[in-house]
Parts: sequence; structure tokens; C-alpha cells
Amino acid sequence: MSRPLHPKKEIEAALSYAEEEGWRVKIGGSHAWGRIHCPYNDNECRCGEFCIASVWSTPGNPESHARALRRVVDRCSTHQRRGETEPKN
Amino acid sequence: MEYIFTLKYQLTDRDNEPDALVERLGAAGCDDALVGVGQPGRLALEFSREASSAKEAIHTALADVKSAIPSACLIEASPDLVGLTDVADIVGVSRQAMRKLMLAHRATFPIPVHEGSTSIWHLAEVLDWLEKRDGYQIDAGIVETARVALAVNVAKETLRHPVSGRGDMERLTA
Repeated sequence: MSRPLHPKKEIEAALSYAEEEGWRVKIGGSHAWGRIHCPYNDNECRCGEFCIASVWSTPGNPESHARALRRVVDRCSTHQRRGETEPKN
Repeated sequence: MEYIFTLKYQLTDRDNEPDALVERLGAAGCDDALVGVGQPGRLALEFSREASSAKEAIHTALADVKSAIPSACLIEASPDLVGLTDVADIVGVSRQAMRKLMLAHRATFPIPVHEGSTSIWHLAEVLDWLEKRDGYQIDAGIVETARVALAVNVAKETLRHPVSGRGDMERLTA
């Protein structure tokens, strides 16, 4: 896993957390730093719009943005249903 | 304080390139929102907005999105339309406990917006009802946010479907 680190440490920690939970991090953008992609791309997934969530480069409140990213990962319904099991890649 | 709410939009075919939209939102001051672009033709923004009231937070957010993407059409402001599971999560009880409470108070529990295999309520009404009972500590910020989200959704629906014969309808349905 060699990707550039996010300059804000709270956001980088949230991105690492998302990756541990199987999400993919993609880099690109200007105001945006990149995106996170939900690992479960199936019909039952109810993350909906937040299956792909944008990550800002320099949000006014990095702590708050990091919390929002973690919420999306934690709220993923397929993730909750599968509990401890690892996602299939 | 910080208000957390989600605005969901329908995008037009001409204005639906996610990367470009995200950049416009960033330039318009929406960097306090998590932008979701996982569904084609849809855009969701989960704001964590600092403001002196929920009304100020939600109304400035609506204005910021409109300035960035004038063609975007609001589908729904959340938290407002919820099922029992959502209410249970917010209040911090099990879904079963929430269902039991609803069934035990069918005559006074707020009427749902829709009743069926999945029923839907206005969150603000359910929280108000729960607050009048003992034993429920509900975050004041969520109640305030839910009331404003309800007002936004009702205003949006009323604009789409103006009410005619209000007096009659009140007599016949309330």
C-alpha cells in the first residue's frame, strides 16, 4: 500500500482506518484530495451516495472531517451485518 | 455549536460529473461537508456546520450548494424521515424496545407519514413525544436539527404540490 499520506494527521488516521476496513483510497483533485470507495459494491449495499465519499485537502476543521469519514465507514450496513468478517477482495 | 445534517440532491444529466462538482462545492465553502457521489445522478452532503442555530446552519448550507450547483434539486434534508431503527439508534435503545413502545401507545404515538412493511415518521415528532415521557435524554442539537429538516422538507413538498382547499382538508383529515 504505497499512496501519498494526507497532510492532516487526523484525516490520514481516518483514511488508514477506512483501509483497514477494506475501503480503497484514490488520490486526485484540487480542493479534493481524493476519495474513499466502499469495498462492498453490491445491490444490498445501503451506503448509497456515501459508497464513494470525497476527501478534502485542507478542510476548515480537519478533526470534524475525519470524524465524518469514520462515521461513513462505521455506518456501512454490509460492514455492520458481516460483523467481524473480512471483506472479500 | 456544530450541527450535523445531510442534504441529498438530484443532479441533471448536463451537470453530473462528480469530480467537477466536488471542486465547485469546495470553492463555495462546502468543505465542512462530506460529499457522497456513490450513486449516479445523486449527490449527498453530510454537513458538520458551525452555526448559532440549526436554522442558520441548514439554510446557509442550502444556499452554498445552490450557488455551487444551481441545477441541483433538493430531494431530502435529514435527519427527518425515519424508520423505527433510525429512531432507536438516535435515542440509544434497541429497535425492539422502540417498537414495543410504539405498539403500547398506538393512540398517542405520532402518526407516521407512511405505514406499511416499513413505516416512516418525522423524527422531530417522535423525539418530542419521547421527551415528554420520563427516562429519555435526547440531545437538544438533534431535536433542533430534526425540526428544521422537517420544515425544509415540508416547504419543498408544499412548493411542488400547493395545498388547495385547506379548510376542507383540515376538517376531513385532522
